[in-house]
Amino acid sequence: MIETRRLTRRFGARLAVDDLNLRAPEAGIYGFLGPNGAGKTTAIRMLLGLIRPDAGEVHLFGEPLAADRQTLLRRVGALVEAPSLYPHLTGRENLEVTRRMLGAPRALIDHALEIVQLSRDADRRVREYSLGMRQRLGLALALLNKPDLLILDEPTNGLDPAGIHEMRDLLRRLPAEFGVTVFLSSHLLSEVEQIASHIGIIHGGRLLFQGTLSELQEAHKAELTIGVNQPERATSCLTDAGWGVRVRPDGMLSVPAKTPEDAARINRLLVGQRLEVFHLAPSQVSLEDIFLTLTGGKADERRAA
Amino acid sequence: MSLLRVLHAELLKLKRTLAFRVIFVLPLLVALLQFFALLRSKAFGADFKLWETLPSNMLAVWAVFMMPLLITLETALLNGIEHGDRQWKHLCALPVPRHAIYLAKFFVAQGLTAASTLVLCVLTALVGLAVMRLRPELAHSGSVPYGWLAKYAGLVWLASWLIIAIHTWVSIRWSGFAVALGVGIGGTVFALFAASASAGEYYPWLLPMNVFKGERFTTALLLGVGGGAVAALLGCLEFVRRDVA
Repeated sequence: MIETRRLTRRFGARLAVDDLNLRAPEAGIYGFLGPNGAGKTTAIRMLLGLIRPDAGEVHLFGEPLAADRQTLLRRVGALVEAPSLYPHLTGRENLEVTRRMLGAPRALIDHALEIVQLSRDADRRVREYSLGMRQRLGLALALLNKPDLLILDEPTNGLDPAGIHEMRDLLRRLPAEFGVTVFLSSHLLSEVEQIASHIGIIHGGRLLFQGTLSELQEAHKAELTIGVNQPERATSCLTDAGWGVRVRPDGMLSVPAKTPEDAARINRLLVGQRLEVFHLAPSQVSLEDIFLTLTGGKADERRAA
Repeated sequence: MSLLRVLHAELLKLKRTLAFRVIFVLPLLVALLQFFALLRSKAFGADFKLWETLPSNMLAVWAVFMMPLLITLETALLNGIEHGDRQWKHLCALPVPRHAIYLAKFFVAQGLTAASTLVLCVLTALVGLAVMRLRPELAHSGSVPYGWLAKYAGLVWLASWLIIAIHTWVSIRWSGFAVALGVGIGGTVFALFAASASAGEYYPWLLPMNVFKGERFTTALLLGVGGGAVAALLGCLEFVRRDVA
């Protein structure tokens, strides 16, 4: 549904997006994850044709965006950062402005209001709306044209926990109930892991991972923790066999063995050397650890963000 | 087709803004000024011709001061509403050609200026008729020169296109009201100095006034309309190519 090929964009000397190859499949929710300043918004702006790439291409629905931007964008709804609303108009009038520009049927306004549960407040001026209501109206604007693809840039930014919860529930419903594919950016893993079927992790403008959440976990499940009666002998034995060994402070050994066959091989090797293996288990790496490892962040920084 | 849809949307955006009120307020100020000036005038000479003096005075004040101010305010209001929540990114992410978004802004500014100039014409007639009633010595001044009013109001409006194009670009390019106001006030004030200079023939803020000056008429009209159209297209081109932040 979304495909970018070697997408690159500089701002002066700074490389904001570097050789980005995104592949967001149809249906479901794709979480585009990365710390602030990672290049998410720049990438999204290129997906929508708001800024031009220095190199590379954007393909939507299998077609190059540059070839027929208008036709392709007819199937896309977008909410980039804070919603763009006219505070002096009512919620309904805001939708009417966009409806007129799209030349869409009037009935779509009520449909969009219903989806975001704003029908009751539709005739109030937007300046009276709470932040959560504004965000939902922004989503209604994006949904107005019944898009096949919804591109949302940090849709929960600035919302309180209740607003985040509301928005998350709303987004979760979209693929199932309305057949919309959602491409959603966030700097919070907790936001994305609860709703996304696929994720892409970007850092410093480069895509570090792309796939399903379980693929991410699988790729980073990584280490086998070994408890053995003589750690020093076991270390040299494993090192001689070509394994990289890390001795943990608690005396356990960590070995980057990914498969059950690797674990069996290591066990055979150690037992063959008359060492007593009393613990042999793959270590559980949380998604948060993986995300932080990939993006080089610290838990404290992430929480502060 | 896209342009018509965008124009339709633009009109709704103006709801509850000052844009519609300004159309009436500024001509009314000119009209009140002329009305009280005539009413309080001690005596009128034998050669005083109400329907020559009043329309040309009103249009002159309009062309030099009020219309540039109107254009400054209207374009700033029209485009200022897009800067507030950075609506440009929403507009430009819609399946609408960017040139339609820009040109709609230019055409709406032209429309609002035309509407306000029309209001000025109506008020000119009303002021003249009221003065004829209140000052008996002017009772036989004849009838309202609708043809002359329509012709010169139209010419003043056509000659203002270049100012409209400049202000449309400025107010879209910069979000601050101060920039638009600075350009508007600067342009108008400098016009007072440029009026007597030969270069004044080409000065955008003097073009509406220059339609009354025989030797500058053609330049005023050509530069106003042609320059306005070219400036609008150049502004549009810049807008289409620009990154939307």
